[in-house]
Amino acid sequence: MNRRELCRVLGAAVASPALSRLSANELWAVGRRAHARGPGLGFRVLDPHQAETVEIIAELIIPETDTPGARAARLPEFIDLLLAEWAPDDDRKQFLDGLADVDARARAASAADFRSASEAQRVAILTALDAEAQEARKAKADGKPHFFDHMKFVTVYGYCTSEAGATAELHYEAIPGAFEPCAPMDRWRAAPGDF
Amino acid sequence: MAAPSFDAIVVGSGITGGWAAKELCERGLKTLVLEAGRPIDPARDYVEHVPPWEMKFRGFGDRKALERDQFIQRHCYACNEYSGKFFVNDRDNPYTFDPAKPFHWIRGRQVGGKSIMWGRQVYRWSDLDFDANARDGFGVDWPIRYADIAPWYDHVEEFIGISGEALGLPQLPDGKFLPPMALNCAEQVVKDGIAKHFAGERVLTIGRAAILTQAHGGRAACHYCGPCERGCITHSYFNSIGVTLPAARATGRLTLRPYSVVHSVIYDEQRDRAAGVRVIDGQTREALEFRARIVFLCASTLESTRILLNSKTRRFPTGLANSSGVLGHNLMDHAMGGGANGTIPGMEDRSVHGNRPNGIYVPRFRNVKTPHPAFLRGYGFQGGGGRGGWGRAASQPGFGVELKRALRTQGPWGFSLYGFGECLPRPTNSVEIDPDKVDAWGVPALRIHCEWSDNERKLLHDMSVSGAEMLEAAGAKDVTPFVDDNPPGLTIHEMGTARMGRDPKTSVLNAHNQCHDVKNLFVTDGACMASSACQNPSITYMALTARAAAYAVESMNRREL
Repeated sequence: MNRRELCRVLGAAVASPALSRLSANELWAVGRRAHARGPGLGFRVLDPHQAETVEIIAELIIPETDTPGARAARLPEFIDLLLAEWAPDDDRKQFLDGLADVDARARAASAADFRSASEAQRVAILTALDAEAQEARKAKADGKPHFFDHMKFVTVYGYCTSEAGATAELHYEAIPGAFEPCAPMDRWRAAPGDF
Repeated sequence: MAAPSFDAIVVGSGITGGWAAKELCERGLKTLVLEAGRPIDPARDYVEHVPPWEMKFRGFGDRKALERDQFIQRHCYACNEYSGKFFVNDRDNPYTFDPAKPFHWIRGRQVGGKSIMWGRQVYRWSDLDFDANARDGFGVDWPIRYADIAPWYDHVEEFIGISGEALGLPQLPDGKFLPPMALNCAEQVVKDGIAKHFAGERVLTIGRAAILTQAHGGRAACHYCGPCERGCITHSYFNSIGVTLPAARATGRLTLRPYSVVHSVIYDEQRDRAAGVRVIDGQTREALEFRARIVFLCASTLESTRILLNSKTRRFPTGLANSSGVLGHNLMDHAMGGGANGTIPGMEDRSVHGNRPNGIYVPRFRNVKTPHPAFLRGYGFQGGGGRGGWGRAASQPGFGVELKRALRTQGPWGFSLYGFGECLPRPTNSVEIDPDKVDAWGVPALRIHCEWSDNERKLLHDMSVSGAEMLEAAGAKDVTPFVDDNPPGLTIHEMGTARMGRDPKTSVLNAHNQCHDVKNLFVTDGACMASSACQNPSITYMALTARAAAYAVESMNRREL
């Protein structure tokens, strides 16, 4: 949705008395100025090593293909925010312990740490973690999610709600303009209600 | 200095306050609308087009702030990171209840009230509903019938714009409809399946919604972004800010005062009338008084009753206009959340485009033609069909290119039927003033006593059985009946506690929402309801408000008020 399309969709509204004092550009900006995020605060929980480890794992979960991957979605920043301001203490500890465990597994595979492991070693570690997470879920459906479940969830969620992911992968449109009840499913065309 | 004086005072600026303001102003009254909360500027406060990446927590919400400040409000689906600002701060707005019998009181304090984030579903009542109390003996008989309110449903619907499908059902009268929204592929399958197996008895239709499907009254048609509860810059759904308050303002007779927390009604013992209201300024905490010839309480069901309970006088020691003793009693809310889920096979090459902010409706079919052996009254279903979203990729095994490919597809078509059942009026479901609790403005708070009875529990169970039947009949797979354990209040259809009735000994209000005891005092929000039916109630509140306002002005013109 660009501004010209917005203007077309909202044409009737702009002509209405209630909104006539707003230009199309102002309509586009409605509610957004207040919510645009301020400059990054820098990392508060993750140290540079942990942030890089998170970025590598996230990019392995959602790699760059014909569309951007997790790296373009700046997952470490989002995860750091959740760890700093959202996560309960025990969830934060579990997540950081999980990152340390990833390094321990890399060392067991005779790398210095996950960051310096080979691509094959990294994939092997994540494959094992993914299998353990699936097993843990089967064993106790109501138990605390495994570290890798957490990591996968925040990666998928963070990617799909990022500008890069929502735009390139889900073809986000703020204003669909019409409702098609049974259209051919060629690709995602997500709208605000999908988030 | 003399208190400022008006022809009319309306307490509240939401669904009913907006209607009272419009009707009173248009009939020539200089009207003061008092709103407890802050003003809302759509251009600044509406957030429906803010993309997720511009939200601090991307829609997760600020967990710690919610747990600290909105520990009740957060139970409502619409109280999220986007629209949470339209719900009250629970620390500033306390109320009490027995922890074993929770009541979730969901509230909005701002200009527009809950009309900003309401569910927009609109269903007329019929005489099946207005007769109900007289028929089975619960509650007192309604002093009105469908014929009394039908022209006011017309009046309200024509002004605000309702999209929907006419069905010709006696238990769910048709209205003045704009073109209906479309059913999606899965909903069409379920509609056909129900029509085939329950011919004539059960029907699936698109929800009747206060959302425009074509331009109406200077407002644009819906553009299908989806989350109406975040606001709507094109005013395509009804709320008071975009529809009724502008009409009131256009008369030049409206004064709207935000940050005006009404403490109580001033009662003039000599003249036996309401003289005005006492207000605490929400920002300065200054105590103020405003005077008027008539007072309309439209503050929401429990706030209006709270104001009356806090307005004790020598003549009315238990609350103003409470000579009957029933003020505060017979609180109701719809019993919500029995139903069934299933999967509709096929159509995997099809999806929707756009977010339709509306679902399906299955009108009441129990106790309509033949009495049900297990329970009184009935329920309707809301719900709808849709394909699994992008979030499901997070719980699939694997990672990498394959997981990313899964993100691009959608899950099978799921379908939900979710029931809303009538709640019987019972005196023990009640509110009173808690002597030990005041809110942030020093106004005594409510203590709420409310629980479901066996009849509501039986309705909830039957919803799960009949919902599953219908999905099976439509060829759904993996049909799963359920009964959610929702506390009263959470449906946000709380009503009653200052009921209408024929007899001043057993009711607070007469057939025109006028206090039996205090003739220039009207209560036209959900507090007035003598029974709950099973339909979403807002359109009935709006119609009753417009009707009461017309009656009040006619009475004033005849010098009876």
